[in-house]
Amino acid sequence: MLTRRQTLAAAMAAPVAVPLAAPRLARAQQGQPYVVGTLFPMAGPNAEYGGVFTAGVQMALDHIAADRMLGRPVELRAQDSQGTPQGGATGMTKLASVDRANYVLVGFTGVSKAAAPIAARAKVPMVNGGGVGPDLAGLSPYFWNVIPLVNLEVRALLPWLGRSGLKKIALIYVDDPFGNAILAELRRGLPEVGASLVGTFSVPPGSQQFAAVAAKVRDAGADAVYFASYGAQQSQIIKQLRDNGVSQQLLTYSGATLASVAALPEAEGLVFTRQAADWSSDDPVTKRFVTDWRAKHGGDPGSYHQNYYNGTRLFALLAQGLEKQNRPVDGDGLRAELLRVREFAFVGGKASFDDQGCVTMPIEVNKLQGGQYVRLS
Amino acid sequence: MLILQLLVSGIQTGAIYALTAAGFALIFGATRIFHVAHGATFALAGYAFVGLVNGGFGWPLACLGALVLAVAFGLAMDRFVYRPIQRHEGSFFTVFVAAFGVTIMVQSLIEIGFGRSFAAVSTPLTRAHQLLPGLYVAEVFWVAVAAALVLFAAVTLFLERTRLGIGLRALSENPELLRAYGLSARRLSMIAFGLGSALAVPGAVLTAITTGLQPSISAQVMLVSLAASVVGGIGSLRGAALAGLLLGVVENLVVSVLDTQWSSAAGFVVLFAFILFRPSGLFGRAVAR
Repeated sequence: MLTRRQTLAAAMAAPVAVPLAAPRLARAQQGQPYVVGTLFPMAGPNAEYGGVFTAGVQMALDHIAADRMLGRPVELRAQDSQGTPQGGATGMTKLASVDRANYVLVGFTGVSKAAAPIAARAKVPMVNGGGVGPDLAGLSPYFWNVIPLVNLEVRALLPWLGRSGLKKIALIYVDDPFGNAILAELRRGLPEVGASLVGTFSVPPGSQQFAAVAAKVRDAGADAVYFASYGAQQSQIIKQLRDNGVSQQLLTYSGATLASVAALPEAEGLVFTRQAADWSSDDPVTKRFVTDWRAKHGGDPGSYHQNYYNGTRLFALLAQGLEKQNRPVDGDGLRAELLRVREFAFVGGKASFDDQGCVTMPIEVNKLQGGQYVRLS
Repeated sequence: MLILQLLVSGIQTGAIYALTAAGFALIFGATRIFHVAHGATFALAGYAFVGLVNGGFGWPLACLGALVLAVAFGLAMDRFVYRPIQRHEGSFFTVFVAAFGVTIMVQSLIEIGFGRSFAAVSTPLTRAHQLLPGLYVAEVFWVAVAAALVLFAAVTLFLERTRLGIGLRALSENPELLRAYGLSARRLSMIAFGLGSALAVPGAVLTAITTGLQPSISAQVMLVSLAASVVGGIGSLRGAALAGLLLGVVENLVVSVLDTQWSSAAGFVVLFAFILFRPSGLFGRAVAR
């Protein structure tokens, strides 16, 4: 039986004791930073992407810290995927086992496919903002996409192709899951707009010589050439096609939205798809992102900057929701929160996720003119 | 006409490969040092050229700048990396690791200085014009072929007709004997590195204007150099040059019968064929054990 003194002591201790009685996990979380990992190519022919992706992540982290969105700081840990499946598997293993990452941002289809099973075993959510292979949809319950996949980009290009009268298309594609996905999508979609593939030319990912490919492309008598590649290889393909007498319209996807491609004189007139971006939008998230980006980098952001900003912001929004509910910020919690909320305020406007964790966004057709992207449709 | 077009493209690629491989073959032939950092020399020369042209300098000055940097780097590798290693133990593995480390360092420095993206110099020289129906040839084709012919003739004359050249050829055989003829092995080694590094410059400049550069190009350069050196016969400058040409032609011609996918692999099929059936290469000497 409690005495009056004991009851009084208990009542006085209550304000202190209640927080202490909060879940042990919540206490353990205090002070320990959340670890956001990145699995980007930081060396080799695709390293330009690593720098671009990371810039988007860093701006999001700056904003998350400035807004004090989370109860714990966020720490960034980077692993070099080298843009290869092997590098992806090794990097993801380190992020999951050594760095104990809560959340990982990834790019590249091959890297994602190699790393996703490792992340799924460790229940670490992975968010892709750069890889566009259609089979990245539903790769695992813990793998989400904040970028429209390339099958959607090809579908968005088809009506423009139908209107432009380009009927005979030659395809140069990297022989990997991404390139083969574009091949399959063009084979399926071109007949719908009265066009056809008159030649398909596969190249290995590391290939640098395209004079022979250019000769074969010329021989195919195409009206336009679609190339599906990434990194420095894109610039090499464009330059060598033009140098070797291929004067037809060049077409590609959002992978070409790189500064090095825009600066290439031979890329003038390149037509490509990318997710729609209205940097003059009054939406507060977009406005802040664009204003701060221009102040920091002296120019407009690109789609990849936007995607990785959104990917990082997604973590903060999900973790913030879990913190408010006093639930642990782990893989299962983040996934449950994603499926509960579904719609998020992102750069570019409201974005909604489907059951597979894929975002839906509008896509536009652009043309490169004088180093600037000009919207065609 | 497609075959003729592929042959022309192959000769252009092969001439650049030959120029790329020749420097490595010369250095290895004279010093027996496995100069993996030759790829870094190539990358430095290429980026120096791009940087100077983009910086507003004329092509002659840019080429000269690339030449000075390449030779300085080659000499520095000999003086500050290989010589200290050889003074102590000189094992192949140590030399390889040291050169590989320097290559990575150079790649990182290029990334810091020039960024991680593609770099090239656009010039009308590389724009192909229709010579015959279906046959496109760019002026750079003649430049590459002429540069390869003139340089190989000059270096061959130097190696065969001059006292220093003969000394270089003797260096790998018997450095002690060289002293009896009043030649310094150390000085000859310097000349080998200087000349071999200078030979990387035309290939680097031609690559910068045709296919373009990327910071990690060293690995590709070394792959081509090694393949050409093995096919041509280890240490044979003439062999490396011919093998480079052969690899370029095979890579291009093969797409007339196989998928474009197999272009790069075809060169390595040639390499394997030589390793299996003629391990001494085109101009190498078979050694009985």
